[in-house]
Amino acid sequence: MFKKLAEKNKVRNSLTIMAQYLNTCFMISTVDDEYLVSIEKGNVTNVEEGPFVMPSYIFKLTASKDEWLKFLQSTPQPGSHDIIAMLRRKVLKFEGDLHPLMSHLLYFKLLLASLRPTESNNEN
Amino acid sequence: MKIEKEPITGNYGKFEIDGVKHRIYWEEAGEGIPLVCLHTAGSDGRQYRALLNDKRILKKYRVIVFDMPWHGKSSPPENSQVGHYKLSTESYISQIMSFIDGLELVKPVVMGCSIGGRIILHLAIHFPEKFKALIGLQSAGHLDPYYDISWLHRQDVHGGEVCGGIAYGLMAPTSPENDKFETMWHYMQGGPGIFKGDLFFYKFDGNIGTEIKKINNSKCPIFLLTGEYDYSATPEETKSLADTIGIEMVKMKNVGHFPMSENPEEFLKYLHPVLEKIN
Repeated sequence: MFKKLAEKNKVRNSLTIMAQYLNTCFMISTVDDEYLVSIEKGNVTNVEEGPFVMPSYIFKLTASKDEWLKFLQSTPQPGSHDIIAMLRRKVLKFEGDLHPLMSHLLYFKLLLASLRPTESNNEN
Repeated sequence: MKIEKEPITGNYGKFEIDGVKHRIYWEEAGEGIPLVCLHTAGSDGRQYRALLNDKRILKKYRVIVFDMPWHGKSSPPENSQVGHYKLSTESYISQIMSFIDGLELVKPVVMGCSIGGRIILHLAIHFPEKFKALIGLQSAGHLDPYYDISWLHRQDVHGGEVCGGIAYGLMAPTSPENDKFETMWHYMQGGPGIFKGDLFFYKFDGNIGTEIKKINNSKCPIFLLTGEYDYSATPEETKSLADTIGIEMVKMKNVGHFPMSENPEEFLKYLHPVLEKIN
């Protein structure tokens, strides 16, 4: 579901400059599945799919698979269009050291939105 | 290429708010009924750039948009210090009433968005006789915090980046990218702690409980319009507010928290009929 984050495309390439000093590792959870995402200098260098025995990460975003699928629609419905909107509805949980996330909030929002099946997101 | 000049005039003026000297910037265009527009928390009057250019509105209305103290081109008041800004209900009302009195506006229409949409409710409760009509965009009677706003002003996080990131998500995915970017950019240009200071009003001091029931629509007509993608003041919350007042609300499709700025074309389709009802 989130493996594609490691694939280069036009949108993700353009995001790198917004996070050029960011090196972190975070977990995306769908409750049943987990994805460990590594970022170096604003580039997603690896996405590892669980299950994990002792995963190490800085922060974690957890929502049900159904909620993530709503978020990933090409034109998501109100309340599913943004991670803070999901937080507001209490269907997404932020955990851990949130500094990398909050100091690069727009970057992470656009990074996750880059998985939506839109024309610009599909350009290489 | 010749410059296409807009019909907007920018002005600076000095006046006192609660006995303290202020230097305030405002823009205006058009002639007729004064329409004072209030911008959202952490932004400035540029949000109303489309209204200030809308020929249909300018034929009937004198559109006036001021930057709140600390915002846009308005100066901080005398003896200010970084990190101490907190907008209270009382000070917000004072700046609006002082500006209206200072310009000698008689029975203006006031339209506000977000914090502006909240303060018009306070105006409706306390001074209904002073206004021809009040228009609330993204109005809700109260809002409980749903994220930790301390992130908006920390020395180890760039305020412009985080405030822009917060504002971006409040807009509809269907709004035009250029207008979304400009709306976000205004947030990125705000001073340290200003957005957070405004939210003190929005999420704490300005919350209204049962006092909403004091609003009497027959003393001053109230119009409420809310974008469907807003998760800060949701259409459901505006509906609840409208039900309490006993009026209808308009749910605007394909816009979020900043209708006049993120998707002016769509917003004006909803605003024109409202402005045409006011005489």
